[in-house]
Amino acid sequence: MLANPRFPKLPYALMTLGVVCLLIGSYLGLFVAPPEHYMGEVQRIMYVHVPTAWNWMLAVLFTFGAAIAYLFTSDFKWDARVEAGLEVGALLGFLLCCQGAIWAKPTWGVWWDWDPRLTSTAVLLCSFAGILALRRFVDEPTKRAVLSSVATIIASVDLPIVYFSVRWWNSLHQMQSSPATVSSQFHLPLRLNAFGILFLMSGFIALRARIASQRLSSELAPPPQELVGELA
Amino acid sequence: MTGGYITGGWPYVIAAYSWTALVLTAYAVSLFVRLRKSR
Repeated sequence: MLANPRFPKLPYALMTLGVVCLLIGSYLGLFVAPPEHYMGEVQRIMYVHVPTAWNWMLAVLFTFGAAIAYLFTSDFKWDARVEAGLEVGALLGFLLCCQGAIWAKPTWGVWWDWDPRLTSTAVLLCSFAGILALRRFVDEPTKRAVLSSVATIIASVDLPIVYFSVRWWNSLHQMQSSPATVSSQFHLPLRLNAFGILFLMSGFIALRARIASQRLSSELAPPPQELVGELA
Repeated sequence: MTGGYITGGWPYVIAAYSWTALVLTAYAVSLFVRLRKSR
């Protein structure tokens, strides 16, 4: 049951749609949208950095929801989704930090700064990577699922800190923008890339959950009868 | 930077887009490989 998806082609369709949106959005962002008044061409990094940040936060929220669902239902399909969310969340968090560093060098003059937004993001990224490592050290599926769900819920407490850090403390990182504070010429590439990464991330999570489900199915399957006979 | 305006940012833009494409592609390939192995 675990490894038998209802829509086997859906992740591939989502990933294809994501790549198409990203290609069009990136073309518009790189070659059609005008450079920003002060940041010049560097501002074009925003068309990948901001959508990555939004979708990273969504991945963390998804993982948090899956962890709660597992603890309430003890259904291993939610554990497979926790594993998938952790890995894709860690991937997007890593990408976000890299893009941010490339943006920071020409605008702030440094690759990295221990500013509240960057530090809280790094803490969440390391937490997700740590929980993934923890899962590899626990062989018993139920114990592993409970431990990683609890750890995911604790780690996710950092998400509101990441979001509000730019308002709560003095931060080098700029405050959240809204359509009202961003020129309308920047909207389309930003939105296309946001949907592109959303579709790609959804496809990644679905495929990764499928891999986790297949492994869980073999772990939870009863031992073969011949082996049971030999042991008896 | 001259007069508050950042000039010459294209290498950073190219680096950010290339790294994003590389990381996402590598992850997609790793997923396909792992999925094939798990069957």
